[in-house]
Amino acid sequence: MQLKRPARDLRRWLVAASCGLLSASVARAQDGGDASPPADDGPATVVDTALAYYHESDGRVRAIEPIVSVHRDYGDERAANVKLTFDSLSGATPNGAVPSRKAQTFATPSGKSLNATPQTYTTASGNVVVVSAPIYIVGPGQLPMDPNYHDQRLAVNGSYDLPWDRLTRSTFGADLSYEHDFLSASLNASLARDLNDKNTTISAGVNGEFDLVQPIGGSPVPLSDYTLFEKVGNHSKHDLNLVLGATQVMNRHWLTDLSLSADRFSGYLNDPYKIVSLVDPGGNVTGYLYENRPGTRTRGSVFLENRVATDRTSVSLSLRYMTDSWAIHSQTAQLKLRWWNPDHDRYLEPTARWYRQTAASFFSPWISSTTTTPLSYASADQRLGAFHAIRGGLKYSAKWADDTGPDGSELSVRAEWYRQTSDNTFVLPGALQGLNVFPGLSAVLMSFEWRFNW
Amino acid sequence: MHTRNLPVLRLLAAALTLALAGCGALGVKPWQRDLMAREDMRLDANAIDASLDEHMYFSKEASAGGRTFAGGGCGCN
Amino acid sequence: MAARFASMGSPCEVLVATPDPQLALRLGQEAAAEAWRIECKYSRYRPDSVIGRINATAGQPIELDAETTALLNYAAQCFELSDGRFDITSGVLRRAWTFDGSDRLPEAGLVNSLLARVGFRRLRWEAPWLQLRRGMELDLGGIGKEYAVDRAHALLGAISDVPYLVNFGGDLRCNRAPPDDPWCVGVERPDREGEARLLLDLERGALTTSGDARRFLLRDGVRYGHILDPRTGWPVVGAPRSVTVCGSSCSEAGLLSTLAMLYGAGARAFLAEHGAPHWIVD
Repeated sequence: MQLKRPARDLRRWLVAASCGLLSASVARAQDGGDASPPADDGPATVVDTALAYYHESDGRVRAIEPIVSVHRDYGDERAANVKLTFDSLSGATPNGAVPSRKAQTFATPSGKSLNATPQTYTTASGNVVVVSAPIYIVGPGQLPMDPNYHDQRLAVNGSYDLPWDRLTRSTFGADLSYEHDFLSASLNASLARDLNDKNTTISAGVNGEFDLVQPIGGSPVPLSDYTLFEKVGNHSKHDLNLVLGATQVMNRHWLTDLSLSADRFSGYLNDPYKIVSLVDPGGNVTGYLYENRPGTRTRGSVFLENRVATDRTSVSLSLRYMTDSWAIHSQTAQLKLRWWNPDHDRYLEPTARWYRQTAASFFSPWISSTTTTPLSYASADQRLGAFHAIRGGLKYSAKWADDTGPDGSELSVRAEWYRQTSDNTFVLPGALQGLNVFPGLSAVLMSFEWRFNW
Repeated sequence: MHTRNLPVLRLLAAALTLALAGCGALGVKPWQRDLMAREDMRLDANAIDASLDEHMYFSKEASAGGRTFAGGGCGCN
Repeated sequence: MAARFASMGSPCEVLVATPDPQLALRLGQEAAAEAWRIECKYSRYRPDSVIGRINATAGQPIELDAETTALLNYAAQCFELSDGRFDITSGVLRRAWTFDGSDRLPEAGLVNSLLARVGFRRLRWEAPWLQLRRGMELDLGGIGKEYAVDRAHALLGAISDVPYLVNFGGDLRCNRAPPDDPWCVGVERPDREGEARLLLDLERGALTTSGDARRFLLRDGVRYGHILDPRTGWPVVGAPRSVTVCGSSCSEAGLLSTLAMLYGAGARAFLAEHGAPHWIVD
């Protein structure tokens, strides 16, 4: 029995409840005998479905992501959750090289040469099939992007909530994600305990992830010359993540949450499809190398969230500071507001987010072709550069009562807008000046969600 | 190095004890949980929104996670 | 004028401020009939009562009438609002505990095994259908007597508007005070039977008293009162000897006094917070 909106004051509630008790029975309606026992369908099931559409400007990545999540509540605080996610991505994605005053030719990941001659095959029946060479040409001044990027991902997440006693509960989870060039599996467990009349909750969780990287065409030899196509084998990487959390109800309106998180990544942390341009002192591109990143990365973060609610509104402000052994420091601030209608069955939720990060120590948008010091690590991946990003969004949600269950159904629509702006301070040599080496990114995300009881 | 860290640790421990002791005066009674019971005051509400957002941050930024597991489970980074 | 009878294991009375003995008798009979009706319907000692039938279902669903449904909904809300302290399924715990003033505490294993059969959340309650797990039992003792007082009070009000006071075993409610002076209510000392410790003037509303009377265990200097916390299976520690609360209805006052006892040493703070007039004996 869940009280939807318990009265604020126990006495006031008691007066109402005991009056209700009396009037209900004094009237003592003679119910017809048409009621039937609850069907023994067991646990309550809530289904969340969502369809998200993500779109980057300038013909970059587009993604469609349907999600189905089933939450089954067995009572006794035991619950199981299974989520299925499908991702379909297509579009163009930067390969790491800088723009140039001349046209540049690159091979797609499956390519084995930069030779533009189309490949021909003679089939058994004698027909000659012409296959265009797996290369792409980027015009002068344009940002080098692989235009044929496409990927499908299928992910399954499962979790099970198991209470230990009245105050302690645990959650066990497993995730599996498959792409044609990437397989990820993870297991996690967390434990939460309520203290202090359930006003304080402390929790600890651990997640172990194992990834298998199977790049198309093989894994390039790190820092090898791009034109040699030295690619061999598959690799793996691992992540161990610890999260400690404390949540405190400060008063009737105010909730605060503090979380500490530590990650350790190890293994093959490179992006097998990213390259770095070699640039001479005049700013001319003379070649490319495959990138290389350190084989380990440790990361720590502090996360603080405060939420305040009044009758028909709530505000959430969350702050995060994160730092890692690659010398990336980031700060995030997010503000969320929610306005309910008087019946609490519809709300409007605007969100604003600000993010900033510094560059990784080995971030180099290009490598000087005349450098004499031996190179150990280099990556031109813009995600490892310095930038700030802002994001704004709006969500509208409506619930209505129906006969599917006690909470009815809910339909939501959400739109988010995101923009990254480079904060890199590299001095552009000669011919690179005037080219858009750090183009940033802008994207929109739309999602429709439908929740119902089953 | 270790000896120099000790005062800092002690200070941290003292601050934590203070914070926990302070908690005694905080909090609400069960019947004052009307607002805390509302979905927008539950930290795990909107899991679908959170997973969509996290996926985007994971693939476009160098930071992820914080309150929840950062696990990306995708080859996009 | 007073009409006296016995019901629910307690002496009961209806005081009526009227010179008309016929009217006083009629009100007394009405109140007694209602008390006996509720006793018959909800006594856990009678196998033919609603509670008796519910406790004999052995895991089968049972459909409840409108009155019992209202009582169960009320109990469900009390459970939620007390964060599990007030629980009509806690009766089975009494099998482990005999409060005879001795030092015989039960074995932890016995309490724990009974605890598995306690918990309102373990019930399946989809009004009007109720399903108990095998081994669970309901006991409306915590709300039944107060409910009976409120019911009788309402029935008498439909017959007459003379001032009257309904008292079922110390839980009482009046409609208004007699013209000349308020009702004078004596609250017994918990340790001495028949001796009024406290004299209260009641003009309107209800008064209930919860106490651990002479039912306790004493071991190693710790006094274990008979109020059991359904969340632990053990007696609440540090509860006052008795708590008297004034409220607008008997159900309201009764739940406040019962909850105050369940808060143990926090009883005083609990009552102070709610601003209900109260008297505590430590």
